[in-house]
Amino acid sequence: MIAINEIIGMVLMAIGLLFQVLGAFGLIRLPDVYNRLQAATKSITLGAISIAIGVGVAEPTLLPKALIVAFFLLLTNPIISHGIARAAYRSGVPLWKGSVIDQYEKALERSGKGGDPQ
Amino acid sequence: MMERSTIQRSLPALAISILIAGTLFLAFVEIGFGENKVDSEDAVANRYIANGTTETGSSNLVTSVVVNYRGFDTLGEVTVLFLAATGVGAMINLLPEDGKKRSKGPKPSLIMTQGGMLAIPVIALFGTYVFLHGHLSPGGGFQGGVIIATAFLLYLIAKPDAKTSHRTLSLSESLAGLSFIGIGLIGLAVSGIFLDNVIEGFGVLGELVSGGLLPLIYIAIGIKVGSEMSGLVEKMRGDAS
Repeated sequence: MIAINEIIGMVLMAIGLLFQVLGAFGLIRLPDVYNRLQAATKSITLGAISIAIGVGVAEPTLLPKALIVAFFLLLTNPIISHGIARAAYRSGVPLWKGSVIDQYEKALERSGKGGDPQ
Repeated sequence: MMERSTIQRSLPALAISILIAGTLFLAFVEIGFGENKVDSEDAVANRYIANGTTETGSSNLVTSVVVNYRGFDTLGEVTVLFLAATGVGAMINLLPEDGKKRSKGPKPSLIMTQGGMLAIPVIALFGTYVFLHGHLSPGGGFQGGVIIATAFLLYLIAKPDAKTSHRTLSLSESLAGLSFIGIGLIGLAVSGIFLDNVIEGFGVLGELVSGGLLPLIYIAIGIKVGSEMSGLVEKMRGDAS
């Protein structure tokens, strides 16, 4: 008989694995930097956190470490992806030709050329 | 005509290739790839596994090999790293003036600055942890030093205009390198063997204070690699203009 917390942990890890795989597919299949960052940030962050929490639930002695890992993934991954996207846009990496909206350009225009909308 | 000269040039090249391939084959045919070398009586790996913890006082066998049994090689590795960093620095210095100048990009966003400032101390602390526990857990001086350098890199990304002192970086790097050699000379003075672990029985196996001189050597390596890599990152940033 498998303990209930192990089943929950396995389910969480399976969900995380699914999101990791989808994120990896997205990195290969999506057309430009910005789209790929979507896959690399949202999907991978959720997947990694889900796996970390799953490990913590299945093995309660590891829960504090798993929570710390999850917290730092949550802290670093979105910030760095934000930095990469911003640097790519500012250094002139073009959007995919099928992109329908570019709100950052409008924000830049509103705040004056070269200004910094914050 | 054209084909003939091509063949004439190809033949010596072919001969040299066959000669080199033959020599390499003769050199490596004795090694016996895929054979089980660990089970033989005189295999050096068995000696490390059997006596590593008792002889060096380090519960991490990789560390006992890297810093104790092969400590002299590690000194060479540190030298190679130093030369590589110096070479890159020299190459950056050879760039023409306008190549060295940093283009004034837009300021990093608020998210980057604040998030970076939140993460940097933790990353630096983790790097210190990794090289302090090099004799107990995976990691060590090289890995911890590089983690500290990533904290420095994040600092320069979060605050590109920050003033950094190249002098301090080279000073700490030189002092760490000197203390590595100094620890080696202690062994030479006490027992006549360079880098000998003269207080190997010191401390309890598996605790933070153990392993004799090994943690001290890893601390020196950690500081050296950290300041070396940070100096490299700082060189790559270019001069403020």
